Amino acid sequence: MIGQIVKKQALILLRNPIQILLLVGLPIILIAILSTALGGMMMGGGSPNIHVKVALVEHGDEEEEIQRFLGELEDEGMPREAIKEMETGIEQMAPVSMLKDEVFGSEEAREFVELHEVEATELTEIWDDNSYTAVVEVPENFTYESLEYLVLNHNSQPVLEVSQNDEQQIGPMIVNEILTQFQEQLTLGAFLQKNGIEQGAIQVDEGIFTGEALTLDQENPIGSQEYYAVGMTVMNVLFIASTIGTIAFMEKKIHVFDRIILGNVSRWEYFIGVLLSGTLFSFIHLLIVYGFSWIVYGVKWPNLLSFFTVTASLAIAIGGIAVLLTAISYRFNSEMITNFFSGIVVTLMAVLGGSFFPIGDSSAFIQMLGNLTPNGAGMSSYLMILRGDDIGEISHHVLFLVLFAATSIIIAAISFPKRGRAV
Amino acid sequence: MLELVDLSKKFKQMDAVKNLNMFIEKGEIIGLLGPNGAGKSTAISMLSSLIEPTKGDVRFQNKSMIKHPAPLRKVIGVVPQEIALYEDLTAEENMRFFGRIYRLRGTQLKKKIDEVLEQIGLTDRRKDIVKTFSGGMKRRLNIGVAMLHDPEIIIMDEPTVGIDPQSRNYILETVKRLNKEKQMTVLYTSHYMEEVEFLCDRIYIMDKGNLIASGTKDEIKRILSAEKTISIQAERWNDEFIEELKQNPTVNRVTVGEKEITVIIPKEVNMFSAIIRMAENADMELHSVDVQTPTLEDVFLHLTGRALRD
Ligand SMILES: Nc1ncnc2c1ncn2[C@@H]1O[C@H](COP(=O)(O)OP(=O)(O)O)[C@@H](O)[C@H]1O
Ligand SMILES: [Mg+2]
Repeated sequence: MIGQIVKKQALILLRNPIQILLLVGLPIILIAILSTALGGMMMGGGSPNIHVKVALVEHGDEEEEIQRFLGELEDEGMPREAIKEMETGIEQMAPVSMLKDEVFGSEEAREFVELHEVEATELTEIWDDNSYTAVVEVPENFTYESLEYLVLNHNSQPVLEVSQNDEQQIGPMIVNEILTQFQEQLTLGAFLQKNGIEQGAIQVDEGIFTGEALTLDQENPIGSQEYYAVGMTVMNVLFIASTIGTIAFMEKKIHVFDRIILGNVSRWEYFIGVLLSGTLFSFIHLLIVYGFSWIVYGVKWPNLLSFFTVTASLAIAIGGIAVLLTAISYRFNSEMITNFFSGIVVTLMAVLGGSFFPIGDSSAFIQMLGNLTPNGAGMSSYLMILRGDDIGEISHHVLFLVLFAATSIIIAAISFPKRGRAV
Repeated sequence: MLELVDLSKKFKQMDAVKNLNMFIEKGEIIGLLGPNGAGKSTAISMLSSLIEPTKGDVRFQNKSMIKHPAPLRKVIGVVPQEIALYEDLTAEENMRFFGRIYRLRGTQLKKKIDEVLEQIGLTDRRKDIVKTFSGGMKRRLNIGVAMLHDPEIIIMDEPTVGIDPQSRNYILETVKRLNKEKQMTVLYTSHYMEEVEFLCDRIYIMDKGNLIASGTKDEIKRILSAEKTISIQAERWNDEFIEELKQNPTVNRVTVGEKEITVIIPKEVNMFSAIIRMAENADMELHSVDVQTPTLEDVFLHLTGRALRD
């Protein structure tokens, strides 16, 4: 019986090609428009919404390490004269100062990056402070080893320890890009040095804050197409809920629901039919739009298990909304709630959830609110999957989605009118 | 076999149906007649277990159906007043869905669909989307869907509202044929007097939630047996004339319509010449004066002082 109800809902939906086009075609078009139109702004320096707070911790002492390096050169028997001459060049090459003054301190970066130099003792506090986008730790001997690498061609290049706030979406991308540029800068420096080119000739590239983002660690970068593929899909899937709600209320309005009840079908079978339609159609919708994004925009999922877990949870949450809208409209015998949802609530939830721009990066509070919407929780998880996080790291979002669905279903079941009330 | 006992429904302060008593026996065609808002649909919704009565009982084979309506639901086919069909699906898809709702499947369902489509004359339109149907075709399908599970009792709520005369005749003939050939019991609701007169063995007349008359056609008309109806037609009315009619002690009731005045008088009184004289006195030109045999319309008029259709 439930299967019959789902099948019939599907048939009605399929008979409305315009509806289908809006549900599936619209997000695909929006992804294209937004990722080209807003992509530059999102990554560029002009956006006032992006605010990146970075903590820098130096475990070593750059000045001391430079002196130690110079001392070592002397020990190795390099003539004093030559060392004296090198000293100015080396001062210029000091990597940590370069990071602070020329990279994070450049005019472009200063527009949205706020660099805080903190002591190692303050670190525990910073880990708990969600407003930080990233913590950059300069390990002991970083300068020393960098100079060894750059000047003497020793060993390999030492690395900075970068910890990122995974709750934020765009911020980490920017930090990664900056640091990558920095690292390339150092490598380039080594190259120039080896080829005897004057260090002063090196300038930090002015254009580093535009274009595709890159990340430092092994994780994947997120581009604007991926961002909007996720943003538009999780927003549009919300309309499945209102579409199912509208069909269900139509059944009451034209008394088809009466006929179903007269066939000795329990209202709970109908209820579950609506829930399953909402869930199943949302799942299919997500697969179609993501499938399209994959083919057309090249948005690939590094971990399919995580992807399907999030997709299924999000679909159940949407099914929950569908049955909730249905129950409330049945109770009040009015379609108003469904129209209000599709007309206003979806947009609000989409903005909060970060579908249009990473609103959560500017405030931890908004970020929390955003993650309390099903689309927002879905979006955060999808972006984390794209970045390469594994399933354990998204589990709290998945749990939220399932709880959200359960709550919606329970409220819907309580408000679904009993026989005789449904006039 | 089906009985309504003191059935009542209140919507807030409004009595939609008050103490309705009614019974239906196997093989009968029962008419439920009344103007819009009389409470017919409300009565039918209670009877068919869609809404709970405020008071009273629905009894099927001497068992109350209020708490556990499943046995009743199995044997009734309800044709709602509205077109309760999926407009986006085809006739056949609608039938298949509702057939499945009634737990028909496979060849049995297929056979039944073919049979019903034949009965309602939609066999050649079975693959068409309902949206493209005329009003009459939709009404026919609306009836057909209620017949898929071979109900013993079919309950029709104004099944001919808003359709062309041909479709209407077709439906009336179909109902009559189903009753004759399959001994189907029918409860037929309408505000069209002539439909009920044509179809029904027994008739219940409702007005403003109350049952105002019931019985066979003849029994009901006998309410008027002591009276007769004179219908007067004229170009325009003169107040003096109307006043004189109303003042006349032998006249039971005067109803003034737009082109027609209806006068109800005792059967034995002859008022023909008196009416002509009154018109002359009032300087009014008459078109016609007819003495009529009573219709159900007259009964309604007699009982309520209002025409059935305003
Ligand atoms: N759900 C409802 N809520 C309030 N009033 C109603 C409802 N349904 C019907 N009514 C009122 O009850 C009266 C009888 O209605 P109904 O049974 O539809 O009459 P009929 O079918 O004879 O035209 C009408 O006055 C109508 O307005
Ligand atoms: Mg009615």
